[in-house]
Amino acid sequence: MSDLVSAALTIAAKDIRIEWRTRTAVISALVFAILVLSILYVARDATAVPALALAPSALWVTFSFAAMIGLNRAFLTENELGAMDAIRLSGVSPSALFLGKFGSNLAFVGAVEGFGIPIFVLFYDVPIGVHLPALLLVTVMTTVAFVSVGTLLSAMVVQTRFAEVMLPVLLLPFLIPPVVAAVHLTAVLLGGRPLSAGLGWLKLLAAFDVAFVTLSTLLFEATLSE
Amino acid sequence: MSDQSPGSPGPTLLDVEGVSRRFGYHTVLHDVTLRISSGDVVVLLGPNGAGKSTLLRVLAGLLRPHGGRIRREGTLGLVGHRPMLYGALTARENLQFFSRLQGINGGRADALLDAVGLVGAGDSRVRTFSQGMIKRLAIARALLNDPDLLLLDEPFSGLDDHGVDVLRGVIEQRRDTGTGVVVVTHVFGHVASLHPRTGILVGGALHGPDPGENADAVRARYRDLVLHE
Amino acid sequence: MMTRAEALRLASRATVVVAICVVGVAAIFVRALVFTPIERAQGPAQKIFYVHVPSAWVALMAFSITGLLSIGYLWLKDRRLDTAAAASAEVGVVFSVILLITGPIWGKAVWGTWWQWEARLTSTLFLFLLFVGYLLLRGTIIDHDMRARFSAVIGILGMVLVPFIHMTVYLFRTIHPQPVVLKPSGPTLPGSMLITLLSSFGVFTVLYLAMVTARYALATLEDLKERELHHVA
Repeated sequence: MSDLVSAALTIAAKDIRIEWRTRTAVISALVFAILVLSILYVARDATAVPALALAPSALWVTFSFAAMIGLNRAFLTENELGAMDAIRLSGVSPSALFLGKFGSNLAFVGAVEGFGIPIFVLFYDVPIGVHLPALLLVTVMTTVAFVSVGTLLSAMVVQTRFAEVMLPVLLLPFLIPPVVAAVHLTAVLLGGRPLSAGLGWLKLLAAFDVAFVTLSTLLFEATLSE
Repeated sequence: MSDQSPGSPGPTLLDVEGVSRRFGYHTVLHDVTLRISSGDVVVLLGPNGAGKSTLLRVLAGLLRPHGGRIRREGTLGLVGHRPMLYGALTARENLQFFSRLQGINGGRADALLDAVGLVGAGDSRVRTFSQGMIKRLAIARALLNDPDLLLLDEPFSGLDDHGVDVLRGVIEQRRDTGTGVVVVTHVFGHVASLHPRTGILVGGALHGPDPGENADAVRARYRDLVLHE
Repeated sequence: MMTRAEALRLASRATVVVAICVVGVAAIFVRALVFTPIERAQGPAQKIFYVHVPSAWVALMAFSITGLLSIGYLWLKDRRLDTAAAASAEVGVVFSVILLITGPIWGKAVWGTWWQWEARLTSTLFLFLLFVGYLLLRGTIIDHDMRARFSAVIGILGMVLVPFIHMTVYLFRTIHPQPVVLKPSGPTLPGSMLITLLSSFGVFTVLYLAMVTARYALATLEDLKERELHHVA
C-alpha cells in the first residue's frame, strides 16, 4: 500500500516540478478563467440578470473549461519523449500511475481555482465570508469529480489522433451531474442558506466522486497499450 | 538452426518460443524463437520495417505476444526506439525520478552519468541535449536497476566515435558481469568486436541467432536473406 | 468468428425481421391514431407518447447493453463482444435521434416551444452526445485491440453515468411529464392506452434486437474482408 502511495507521490511531484518550471499552462488557464468570468459578467443584460443570479453558473463554466486546459496537457510530458514506457517498465502499478496523475491534475486545477475564487468573489460582488469553507468543500468535491474521469480520458485520448478535440467531446457528458450539482449548491450558499439546504445535490456529488474515482482507477490499466 | 553458442554458459534470462504479434490483421512478428543466457551478446539485424523494434518491445514486456510464450528471469533494462525521458527535467533529475520509482538509491545517478560520459551535463535539461547525449542518458537510465538483461534498440545511432567506444565498453563490461545483452542495430561493425551471436529479422521472421561469426559471414548471410526474401 | 456465408445469412435474416418490425411500428401508429382514445389534457399530440416512450426505453437498453458487453470484453478479451457493443451503440444513437426529434414535436404541441432546457430532454441529449463520442473515438483508432479497449472503457463509464444523469433529473425541477407507467404504485394508464403502449414496447424491442444483429453481421463481414486483405488464414 505504501508502495502505491509513494509511487503516486513521486509521479505527482515530478509533474508539479515540470509545470512549475514553465508555469505557462497554469498561468494561461488562470488568464483564461479571468477572461471568461469577465465576459460572462459584462455580456449580460445588467437590468435583467443580477450578477448574483449568474454567478454560480459563471463560476462553474469557467472552472470546467480551465480544467479542460489542464487535462489536455496531462500526459503530454510522457508522450513527448516516450517516458511512459519507462514508467511501465519500472514496475509501478497502473493504479499508482493513475493516482499520481490524478493528484497532479488536481493540483493544477486547484491552483487555477485557488486564484480564481477570490477573483470571482471580487467581480461578482459575492458575500462570501461565512460560507467559504462550504464553498471550498463543494469546489473540491466537484473538481475531484471531473478530474478523475478527465485523467482517465486524457490517458486514452493522447494515444489517438485529434486528441485536443476528443477530450472535450468525451468529457462533457461526465460534467453534467457534478457541475449541475455544483451550480445548485453554489447558488444555495451564495443565497445565504446552509449547505444542508442542498443535501440531495451534495449526496449526488459525493456518490459521483466515489463511483468515478474508483471506476477510473480500476479502468486505467485498460488504457495502457499492450 | 542452433541458437545456443558453445561458449555460452550461465542461466537462461530470456526464453522466447514461437512468439507472434499482430497489428490489426497485419502480422508483424511470426514464430520467433530465441534464448538469451547470462553473458550472452545477441545482435539483431534486419531491414527497416522488419519488426526489430516491435520484437524488442515484446521481449521487454511492453507488448503482449499474440502467440507463443516468453519467460523472463531477473531484471530488465531497455533502451528503446524513443528516449523514454522527460525533456523538461535535468539529466540527474530524470535518473533520480526513475530510481525513486523503482525503489533504488538515487546515488547511482552520478556514477551512471560518469559511466556514459555525461557528468558535466548532469544539471542541464534534457531538452537542450544533442541526440547523442540523449542516447547516452537513455542508456544510463536503462542501467539504473543493474539489469540482468539489457535490450538496446539502435543504441549507437546519434553517437560520435567516442560515444560508440564508450557504449561498446559498457556492453562489454555488462557482459563480463553476467548481463545478457540484445542489440538491435544496422551497423554490424559497431559490435563486431564483441563476437556476438547474430540473428536476422526479415518480414517478421527471425533467422538465427547463429553462433558467433565474423563480419563477412554475417554480411553474406544478410545479403542472402534480405535480397532473396 | 463466423464464416462469410453465415454472416450473410444472419444479416439477411435480421433485415427481414427489421422490415417486419417497421410494419409493426406502422401498425402501432395506426392503432395509436385511430383506435386509442385521445388523452384529455394534451390532445392528439399526446399520441407521440407511444413512439417516444418506447424509443427512450430502447435507447436506454441499448446503452446499458453496450456497457455490459464492454465489461464482458475487458474481462474475456473476445473481440466479438466489442463488435456487438459497437453495434448496440450505433442502434442506440439512432433511437436517441428519434427521441430528440419526437420530444420537441411533442413539446411544441404541449408546451408551446420546440425545445425546453428541461432536464430529461437535456440528459437524453448528453447521453446521445456521449455515444456519438464513443463512435467518433472508434473512428480515430485503427488498431483493433486499442479500439476495443478504449471503447470498452467509455462504454462502462457511460453505463455508470446513466443513473447519475437520471438522479440529476429528479433533483432538478422539471416540467417533463412525470412517469406514468413506471411509477412505484403501478401503471395509471387506462386499459386501451396501456395495450397500445405495451405493444409498442414489444415491437421496438424486437426492432432493436434485429437492428443490432444486422449491424453485428455487417461488421463481421467487414472484418472478414479485412482479414482476407492481409492473407490471414
